[in-house]
Amino acid sequence: MEYFLTEQQREIKNLTRTIAEEKILPVRAELDEKEEFPWEIMKILADTDLFGVYIPEEYGGLGGGLLDLCLVVEELSRVCSAVAVSYAASALGSFTLLEYGTEEQKRKYLLDISSGRKLAAFALTEATAGSDAGAIKTTATRTSDGYILNGTKQFITNGGEAEIYTIIALTAKERGARGASAFLVEKGTPGFSFGRKEKKLGIRASATRELVFEDCLVPEENIIGREGIGFIMTMKLLDRSRPGLGAQALGLAQGALEAAVDYARKRIQFGHPIIAQQAVQQMLADMATGVEAARALVYATARMIDSGAKNFTQESAMSKVFASDTAMKVTTDAMQIFGGVGYMRDYPIEKMFRDAKITQIYEGTNQVLRNAIAFELRKKKWVGD
Amino acid sequence: MVNIIVCIKQVFDPEAPASAYKIDAEAKRVILKGIPPVLSPFDENALEAALRIKDAHDSKVTVLSVGRNLSKAVLMKSLAVGADELLLLEDGAFEEMDSYATAFTLASAIGKLGGYDLILTGREAADTNAGTVGSGIAEILGIPSITIVRKVELDDGKVIAERVVSDGYEVIETPLPSLITVSNELGELRYATVKELVASRNKPIMTWNAQELGVEPPQVRQARLLSLFIPQKENRCEIVGGETAEEMGANLALKLRAAQIL
Ligand SMILES: Cc1cc2nc3c(=O)[nH]c(=O)nc-3n(C[C@H](O)[C@H](O)[C@H](O)COP(=O)(O)OP(=O)(O)OC[C@H]3O[C@@H](n4cnc5c(N)ncnc54)[C@H](O)[C@@H]3O)c2cc1C
Repeated sequence: MEYFLTEQQREIKNLTRTIAEEKILPVRAELDEKEEFPWEIMKILADTDLFGVYIPEEYGGLGGGLLDLCLVVEELSRVCSAVAVSYAASALGSFTLLEYGTEEQKRKYLLDISSGRKLAAFALTEATAGSDAGAIKTTATRTSDGYILNGTKQFITNGGEAEIYTIIALTAKERGARGASAFLVEKGTPGFSFGRKEKKLGIRASATRELVFEDCLVPEENIIGREGIGFIMTMKLLDRSRPGLGAQALGLAQGALEAAVDYARKRIQFGHPIIAQQAVQQMLADMATGVEAARALVYATARMIDSGAKNFTQESAMSKVFASDTAMKVTTDAMQIFGGVGYMRDYPIEKMFRDAKITQIYEGTNQVLRNAIAFELRKKKWVGD
Repeated sequence: MVNIIVCIKQVFDPEAPASAYKIDAEAKRVILKGIPPVLSPFDENALEAALRIKDAHDSKVTVLSVGRNLSKAVLMKSLAVGADELLLLEDGAFEEMDSYATAFTLASAIGKLGGYDLILTGREAADTNAGTVGSGIAEILGIPSITIVRKVELDDGKVIAERVVSDGYEVIETPLPSLITVSNELGELRYATVKELVASRNKPIMTWNAQELGVEPPQVRQARLLSLFIPQKENRCEIVGGETAEEMGANLALKLRAAQIL
């Protein structure tokens, strides 16, 4: 399919693919096995400008948009989703700053993020607040010196590895979701420590960790936007970031499809390559169709957002739901095509299969996102659309 | 400003599976199917050496490549990573040259460009592995050369290089201009950044044919290829027995000695 990428976008995609194949492919199984954070790869992505693809040039970036980010995530995830999500989570941790930060905050933090010198992370989830994000308990109490944070965030991607964290906490507990605010907190701030590092089914080279705040004093100038708009900013952030997650699922599905086609051409049973079997062909045809449809939806949504659209909750949810369901289905079928060896750790399919599941869970479970899509449908007037 | 010239050969990807290589014994040619051309890996090391010098000193890096059917897309990589210009010596006459003819042609082009301080080449090409072109160029130009180098530094008009030897390295100094052949120990060629990739499309690529270069490569080949073949490999497996581990070990040692391996 032709997606009419700009010259810069094509360079971004090709460069990421080259790096993924030369530097990630040889180590992905080991990174997964050892659950080791891919610092060396992060360094290469930083040295090649890739952390700044979506950041304006005045903050050291390449001035592209969400589509540029999606292209990088897709190509990384085609080879290793754990690397892709570690990269993408840094963008997630910077979007709120980019959209609502003051000039001073942007100057202070974005240069380090766009150059990849520092990773970022975003923390909303807590033990009591997953899909029901409004149930967070972490507080930020205003004092004359700044805000004092108390509470524990759970399942935070890049936790411990990132230097710059966007934290959602309650500045007015009694107001619930309307009392939430966003703060920039740097690693090393007294009272900010890291708890348990999770042991996961998939994306194992990525870091998922608890963030613990115990009377952590954050300077007043580190609030993003103003008090009380933390949730509105979060919802907007997630609307904006979800196509990126769609791209993660898409890349993974693409990788699994390629592996399955390759294997089906080589594996001989009953005297012929198994790709000669109609049953296998039908599966591959559906996989390829799903992958291309996911790509079209992810790219189209990213472009819509880049064009300056105001409301894209529905499209963004659709791109994430569709791409992640496709990734789950494609990796399942790819394993089926590999047969027994697909189940073995010597082959890449079992990793892809394990890595796929998370895409249906985080950044809004697919059930919650279907709720959001349906909610938009209930409001929708079908005129001239 | 330091004027650096890097000679780069385009070869077929040496990482391609051996099964992709076929040989036409009659024509003494390697037949390659579906193997992409790449920059010869040791030449990439040489380019990296040049870029490291450029990182530290105000320099101009010119990449020079000779051959036939050179791929611009492949050689553009050198511009993207930071070389300033690319000069392609392309002509039907530049096909299947031996090391001397190649060195002669490159040296002629370097002479015509003039004003060079340092010439860098890979220690050998990944296809022929002859390793003689670099020294050949130095010989023809009458300048000193240091081969198989793992580190190059410039200091006040001199080159200081670490030359790889079997149990360590030697540190050698020469005046400029000089020629250095670079080994893989120096380190991999860096990736181009996105900005450089986009900008490299506007960097100059010059092409000279034999006439523009003003020389014909020597017609008489100094070296002639007599035959080309893929060696037949035979694998046999023999299980060495014995009652105890010691006995098995002893039997194995005897076998290895009989095979003149021990
Ligand atoms: C590996 C990993 C990395 C993560 N990274 C981050 C991060 O960087 N930052 C961050 O803030 N969070 C992160 N999360 C948290 C993630 O976003 C949440 O896990 C996710 O939103 C789901 O919340 P939950 O796990 O509490 O599940 P629950 O909310 O407890 O959901 C359990 C089940 O109930 C269903 N359900 C719940 N409510 C509804 C409803 N209203 N309608 C229909 N079904 C419903 C869900 O779909 C799901 O099937 C991460 C999680 C994981 C596992």
